[in-house]
Amino acid sequence: MTPPMTLTLHHAPDFASTIVRLALEELELPHTIALADIDSGALASPDYRRVNPVGLIPALETDDGPIFETAAILLWLVDRTGRLGPGPNDPDRGAFLSWLFFSSNALHQAALTMFYPHRPAGEGNSDAARAAAHDHIIARLGLIEALIAAHHPRWLSANEPGVLGYYIGILVRWLVMLPPAPYTLGLDRFPQLRSVLAAHETRAAALRVAKADGLGPTPFTNPRV
Amino acid sequence: MTLTLYHIPDWASSIIRLALEELGQPYQIKPMDWDAGDFDAPAFRLVNPLGLIPALGTPDGPIFETAAIILWLNARYEGLAPGLQEPERAAFLSWLMFVSNTVHPTVMAMIHPDRPAGPAAADQMARMALDSLNEQAAHLETLITTRAPRWLTTAQPALGHYLGILLRWAACLPQDPALRFSLAPFPALHAVLAAQEQSPAACRVAQTDDLGPTPFTSPGISE
Repeated sequence: MTPPMTLTLHHAPDFASTIVRLALEELELPHTIALADIDSGALASPDYRRVNPVGLIPALETDDGPIFETAAILLWLVDRTGRLGPGPNDPDRGAFLSWLFFSSNALHQAALTMFYPHRPAGEGNSDAARAAAHDHIIARLGLIEALIAAHHPRWLSANEPGVLGYYIGILVRWLVMLPPAPYTLGLDRFPQLRSVLAAHETRAAALRVAKADGLGPTPFTNPRV
Repeated sequence: MTLTLYHIPDWASSIIRLALEELGQPYQIKPMDWDAGDFDAPAFRLVNPLGLIPALGTPDGPIFETAAIILWLNARYEGLAPGLQEPERAAFLSWLMFVSNTVHPTVMAMIHPDRPAGPAAADQMARMALDSLNEQAAHLETLITTRAPRWLTTAQPALGHYLGILLRWAACLPQDPALRFSLAPFPALHAVLAAQEQSPAACRVAQTDDLGPTPFTSPGISE
């Protein structure tokens, strides 16, 4: 990244901002962590709403102003550094963008429904919402498994790190740990994906973040609370 | 370069058709038929494994997801949104993703309120979705009034088109008129969309896709 930029990540450990922290560590970009005290309402404060008007983390303050939304930040970092994903003139760019936004729109959103089923559907409809989200999640991870098996994309690979591996890794972590039975995710059905995630979680950058954020030794493939 | 848009008029693929018309790039339309099973056809699943439109066939292979296609087109041809070197790209990407993963599913929940939690929850779902959309529109209204971003003007029209189609659906598709979205409380957003729907490219797509004379701001009164 030239020239060097000042970067501040608004963060809470094991929230979606951890995905961005993983990318920043992998890129070895100097950055400041601004810890958000979510329980005390920090995300609703006027100061924070100037960073992200929607009031969510992650948000990344940059010399170009603040960026929010996980996929937006990841793509911006890829394009600024030329690393962790195909650049704009790469023939793989279209497929990478498609699956990055699929992960954000389809997988991440279904995961949020699983964790907060009352949000889209209201109290009283949580069970139905959770059951529907579970079916979506299994089907969507199945598409990712088939993608890896059929195409071996280098932007979601065990051979080199990428923003999408870290993004899906954190989503899978939560899907294994957080839902109640019978909705707990098992990775046995997704061996290709598991090998990609295993390669990511053992990288030096991931180990640093796992330590800083208290994610345990195998945060993606065998996560523990 | 041959581009092929898998398309049904007034589906999300109309957002991509608007972008292609703005760019003036030649493209082919591949008409899709839901009832004929086109979305489940193995040949289409090779284009988009999810079985959804929009999908765009390109010399680099197929691309899907509305926001992904917009960004790919903008990098290839320029003029739809901030370029890679523009500082405004940071804010644009943030709001594009907000529209893609928050506004878009909220509007789909208004149109198909039975999907997220079943038919018994549909009425409550539709009400909650409308409340959410009004909150999201308020964020956009504040954005426009405080920052007037160039990427929500006809100079960089992709996000305006995306919002225009989504809010069109929210205003005319919910069955219960009381559960339809109105732009009236959001005058700055209304002004942005009113300018966008009068661009030559938007007028061409309104004609080809039968969207009526004011597709974004008054979709219900199309003749």
